[in-house]
Amino acid sequence: MKNKLQKLREEFLSALDKVTDLSTLRDLEIKYLSRKGELSNILGELKDLSLDLRKEVGELANVVKQELQMRFSETKVDIEKKHDSNKQLDPTIPGGKIERGHLHPLTLLKRELEDFFATLGFQVMDGPELESEFYNFEALNVPPHHPARDMQDTFYVDIKNKDGEYDLAMRSQTSNTQVRAMQKYGAPLRMIMPGRVFRSESTDSRHEHTFYQLEGMMIGKDINFAHMKNILELVGKKLYGPETKLRMRPKFYPFVEPGSNGEYTCFLCQGQGCRVCKYSGWLEILGCGLIHPNVLRAGGIDPEKYSGFAFGFGLNRLAMLKYGIDDVRLFNSGDMRFLKQF
Amino acid sequence: MYLSLNWLKDFVKIPSKMKPEELAQLLTLHTVEVESWRAQSASFDKVVVGNVLSVEPHPNADRLRLTKVDVKKEILSIVCGAPNVAAGQRVAVALVGATLPNGLVIKDTEIRGEQSSGMICAEDELGLGNDHEGIMVLAKHAKVGQSFSSHLLLNDIILEIDNKSLSNRGDLWGHYGMAREISTLLKTPLLPYLKIDEKILIPSGKEKIAVKIEDKNICSRYIAVKINNVKNTESPSWLKERLTAVNVRPINALVDITNYVMFESGQPLHVFEADKIQKITVRLSKDDESLETLDGKERLLPKETIVISDGSDAIAVAGIMGGANSAVNENTTSVILEAATFNAVYVRKASQRLNLRTDASMRFEKTLDPNLPEMAWQRAWQLIKEIFPEAEIAGEVVDVQNFDLEIKAIPLDFSWLKKKIGKQISRKEVQSILERLGFQVEINKNLLIVTPPSWRAVKDVTIKEDVLEEIARVIGYDNIPAVTPNSTLSFLPENRELLLERKIQDILSGSGRLLEVYNYSFVSEVALSKLNIDPSRYLKLVNPISEQQALLRQSLLPGLLQNLRLNQFNYSDFGLFELGRIFLSSPGEYVKDEKGDFLPYQGKRLGLVVSGVDENKNFDQLKSYLDLLFSSLWSQIKLEYTALENMPAWAKEGQVAAIYCHGKEVGVIGVVDNKLANNFGLKTKVAFAEINFKDLLLLDNSVPVNQYKESPKYPAVVRDISFVVDEKILYNDFWRLLVNFHPLLVKAELFDVYQGKALGEDKKSWAFHLTYQATDKTLTAEEVDLIQKDLIQACHDRFEAQVRDF
Repeated sequence: MKNKLQKLREEFLSALDKVTDLSTLRDLEIKYLSRKGELSNILGELKDLSLDLRKEVGELANVVKQELQMRFSETKVDIEKKHDSNKQLDPTIPGGKIERGHLHPLTLLKRELEDFFATLGFQVMDGPELESEFYNFEALNVPPHHPARDMQDTFYVDIKNKDGEYDLAMRSQTSNTQVRAMQKYGAPLRMIMPGRVFRSESTDSRHEHTFYQLEGMMIGKDINFAHMKNILELVGKKLYGPETKLRMRPKFYPFVEPGSNGEYTCFLCQGQGCRVCKYSGWLEILGCGLIHPNVLRAGGIDPEKYSGFAFGFGLNRLAMLKYGIDDVRLFNSGDMRFLKQF
Repeated sequence: MYLSLNWLKDFVKIPSKMKPEELAQLLTLHTVEVESWRAQSASFDKVVVGNVLSVEPHPNADRLRLTKVDVKKEILSIVCGAPNVAAGQRVAVALVGATLPNGLVIKDTEIRGEQSSGMICAEDELGLGNDHEGIMVLAKHAKVGQSFSSHLLLNDIILEIDNKSLSNRGDLWGHYGMAREISTLLKTPLLPYLKIDEKILIPSGKEKIAVKIEDKNICSRYIAVKINNVKNTESPSWLKERLTAVNVRPINALVDITNYVMFESGQPLHVFEADKIQKITVRLSKDDESLETLDGKERLLPKETIVISDGSDAIAVAGIMGGANSAVNENTTSVILEAATFNAVYVRKASQRLNLRTDASMRFEKTLDPNLPEMAWQRAWQLIKEIFPEAEIAGEVVDVQNFDLEIKAIPLDFSWLKKKIGKQISRKEVQSILERLGFQVEINKNLLIVTPPSWRAVKDVTIKEDVLEEIARVIGYDNIPAVTPNSTLSFLPENRELLLERKIQDILSGSGRLLEVYNYSFVSEVALSKLNIDPSRYLKLVNPISEQQALLRQSLLPGLLQNLRLNQFNYSDFGLFELGRIFLSSPGEYVKDEKGDFLPYQGKRLGLVVSGVDENKNFDQLKSYLDLLFSSLWSQIKLEYTALENMPAWAKEGQVAAIYCHGKEVGVIGVVDNKLANNFGLKTKVAFAEINFKDLLLLDNSVPVNQYKESPKYPAVVRDISFVVDEKILYNDFWRLLVNFHPLLVKAELFDVYQGKALGEDKKSWAFHLTYQATDKTLTAEEVDLIQKDLIQACHDRFEAQVRDF
């Protein structure tokens, strides 16, 4: 049995050496390696052997089989190569195209910022998009009849409460999650809250009724304005490079006191003034401020013991600046010519 | 709002070397946003003084004249339509290339066959008045060729303030309030608002006006002063110039004076024609009450509008606009001057409901200081007296006061200030800043007791944080250092939801090579009806942008189909996915408010679509994506498809299944009915799957970590076998039988599906690789044969399956 195998091996290998064309090679394959070839015949005889012998010869047969198959493949490749050798192979030809998938540009930006804030120890929290007036306004120190509650700005949902009033809205800002986060986690707290927000606004290339914001806050025993500046400076450096400067100026938001705007040096002109920054050298990016004591109270945090700051910015605007997108409607368009660029 | 630099200088010293951009920046960094500034002369660029040399009739038009006008550099031929043009006049000539304040661009042109190179301007064309009767004739001594702005001595600088940045500062809606800010920032003195000779306040007669306020809540103060012996002429030019500078059109002296005082003090005023009014009642509007307002429009007054009436009829919409029935005109000799404080919320609501925002309503809705009307009426009277020296106050000034402005002192301490700002600010500086802003300051050791002025106390300064803001902004946010917060390390709980979202996105866009889309949360009734979906249980928006965006989506399908339609002409055979919320009217997980109710359900869904010409291929492909997703998320998990009892409205009959994972239904998959897809404008076939993200999250939390298994020591026996069954038999049922049949039958892998005539009517065949394996020995052919024989029998008994012979 072993001898048969050895003999077969030698026969096959010497025949293989002489082969120069594919059709002879094919004949050789049929004769020795096919299902009804000589190797199979020998293997078929294995069952007639004793158990011990069968095991021993079986192992040898496997080794021989693998060797023969390997040598066969090598020879085949060699012959094929020779066959093609009169053709010149161009090493600069690109490989076949494998299409890739694409994440939405806002997903990419959101992740980048989430990861950045994670390095500063900020958690991420998601909040409801359909929100009550309580969390969207009242808890944020926006009393009834405040201009911010205007129907012109906020989408109300057609469900009336027991008093016959509409008190559900599509959240007009991610700040709705501030008080939810305070209630859930208490102080101290470092949290960012990215998400989808809505404004009742006609759309054009610069206006969208559905867009994304990222809200952030930090609450602790001695958190102050100077700390806020530090964090916001880091945000600027993250977004626009280590030379980026922050400029802050007063701005009123009901849920912070003092309230401020944050501007960063325009990354396109390095603050020299260009079309994008309207020749001011600054890009208005942030709204921020120290959290109003009424908001802390609504979140169950004692403003005499804790203080904090909050900030927020629009992700669509950041993405537009980053990628040079000139029409905000593209984000929700589902247009693959747009999406395939990210 | 526009600010005139000259006007500000009436009250505060601004260094002459200070550039307009520096002032603009100063206000922007410390007070409110200055959107832009411009030199007033810029609006009269290319307008010069000309001398009319000759006037001839136009040969082709009776009303037009041909003029020759000397503008020093050249003599222009200008066609003019004004009846008052005459030789020898000095006139304002807009040269070719000029853009007038009303937007008119002057070009070289031909008018009825005659060349015209420029325009002789009328007052209204220059934005200096409403006179369009004829051209504006300038004084004889006007210098020919001089620029018109130098002729008018227009040397003012105009700053434009962003109104939104003023929304919490009612006190900044006039020049005086801004002057106070500037004086605080520049540390220069602020002049008092009113310097009046008390003697002129003494009434000349004993006429009485009865004023009644029906509801104290709607009007906290009402001052009415009857003034006789006025001649309501045109305003003097200085007054007109000031108003023009801040973009207000001069009308007549009395109206102009009320406007002037409003733009100066921030307090809106009104004048009524006195002859028509015996008494004044401040009340709320009645049902179906209407009034023709000054702009000539008949307006139905909404409920809860504050109305000024003469005892019976409305004569003004309080705080918004006067009525035509009591308007002053050029014949007016006697007026009632109104200076009042109306309820901000009422004015705001009425202004919204009437869709009428005026300079007055914008101010009232900010909540004004009830002390302001007194100063304002006296200022107006001072101006009236200056322009009409014969004017006199007809009787006692009526002053109804419904307010009790108790201003609370705000205590805070210096250490608190330092702790919140993060910088030490000297006591002296704190005191100086607050006092310059009009606050009263008392210092007692470390304690600071601050009393805000009435114009700040009405609304925006009530707590110590408000005082902190005043100090911080005057110092300048830029002058506060950036300090790294001290913090201790704390454990951050893992956000599993976010991690899972990211994994899903990465798998589908990575090895799945799909595209991620974001769609609106809103759908239209039309889109739903195209999909046979009943919109009646959808949540609606009260105030949608359009019918296209009126309902809250309950599935990601309509949006994804819209994406397919948009892209079908640019791409073929592709797939998309979206991860987003849907909205149902039933209660969800989020708490609504402190009462413990819940918000409507708004869970996340993962939606996938595959589009292509071959319906079966789409469906198959979509399943491959799901298999990729689930096996990437949890390598050991089994994904199954089972028949659905309630077919979704969008699905093609029989081509839809529930997605089961780990024994739990997580979503649905199917082919979108072709007719519906066509309704949607789709040329291709579509397969769609929607998965409840929450279920995936639950799985993610419950599926145990994959445990390592030793590779089998003994060889497996693989048998290929093909079964023929009735085409109604579902694969998943059959497959379950195979994999649950015998412990040694460890795997049943489908490798071929065939349906064809060779099998006979209504038949199909499945070919499987069946893997038999034991962990403790090498299986013999006989053992396998035995199991397989039983298996074939079982398949026959349960499904009438036949083994297919080749």
